[in-house]
Amino acid sequence: MMTVRNDDDISHINRFKEGDPSAFEAIVLKYQDKIYSLCRHMLGNAHDAEDAAQEVFLKAYQALPRFQPDASLYTWLYRIAANTCLDHLRKPVFESLFGPSGEGEGLVHDRASEAPSPERLYQSKQTDRALQEGLGKLSPKLRAIIILKEIEGLSYEEIADSLAISMGTVKSRIARAREELQKVMKKFREQNPQ
Amino acid sequence: MSCSKSNLVSPYLDKEMGADETIAFEAHARGCSRCAQKLEELRALHSAFSAVQSHQAPYGFSTRVLARAAELEKKKAPWYFAPLFVRFAEAAVLLVVVTLGILAGNAMTNGVPGRMAVNMTASLSLDLFEAAPPGSLGGAYLALMEAGNEK
Repeated sequence: MMTVRNDDDISHINRFKEGDPSAFEAIVLKYQDKIYSLCRHMLGNAHDAEDAAQEVFLKAYQALPRFQPDASLYTWLYRIAANTCLDHLRKPVFESLFGPSGEGEGLVHDRASEAPSPERLYQSKQTDRALQEGLGKLSPKLRAIIILKEIEGLSYEEIADSLAISMGTVKSRIARAREELQKVMKKFREQNPQ
Repeated sequence: MSCSKSNLVSPYLDKEMGADETIAFEAHARGCSRCAQKLEELRALHSAFSAVQSHQAPYGFSTRVLARAAELEKKKAPWYFAPLFVRFAEAAVLLVVVTLGILAGNAMTNGVPGRMAVNMTASLSLDLFEAAPPGSLGGAYLALMEAGNEK
């Protein structure tokens, strides 16, 4: 169990337990972008991501009175988010929704320049599509772990804590997720040459 | 055929190895074309992810969450889900009220002497009330029933 503690978080939790309603608002404001972003990458579309992210905070609201102060609020919220998204993904309808995205729904955004060249834009779009294809083909558990590692930038220890799994499982799942992702992306690039 | 140390490529890339392990793996990868190639492939994948953006919560997200939390608060659990001490306190208040009622009733009848007590008891008797007003439909029905019984 990870024991990285944040004094702000501890203060918010203590205030919440004492009945201060503004403490929960502070927690939501602090973590809303991280949780929404995780849900957005896990579920693949904005509407379901907002539903799931709201659900995460409501579950946290109900469970906070029992939250142990020696745990990390950050990874605890990630755990709720990962489980909520996995529950959403178990619904069969999500398999069809996690396909290639529409306009403005892509994963990759070129931040290197304000006006990218057409060639660079095309390459960026291709990478975007290949990544989406790859993530969509991964099992929800592998998808969760690769998003936490590659997009959210969590350490193995934080991932183990967030998903309540052992370090050994984290290592093997990350390796497997990358291998499967590579295969799908390679196949996609062969089928869609530049 | 893959190298037995290829499972170390991911932890190496993620900087999740100790210093000794890292040095040993780097020495190995210099002489192992399979691990070196896998490392390059995973670096390429990692850099593809580096262009992925983090999303911001939509406008008004926190307001919507707080509104739903307030709704939850309103629908808080019924009394039987209340903490044990609250339920004990409620039961104690109820017991006190009932006891006071009984004591007050006894005091009214026992504490008042003679004729007043008789009047008080009589005033509480239900015999003072008509079962149904005489001119009403109910009264007519009762009169018919009584007549029938007499026969």
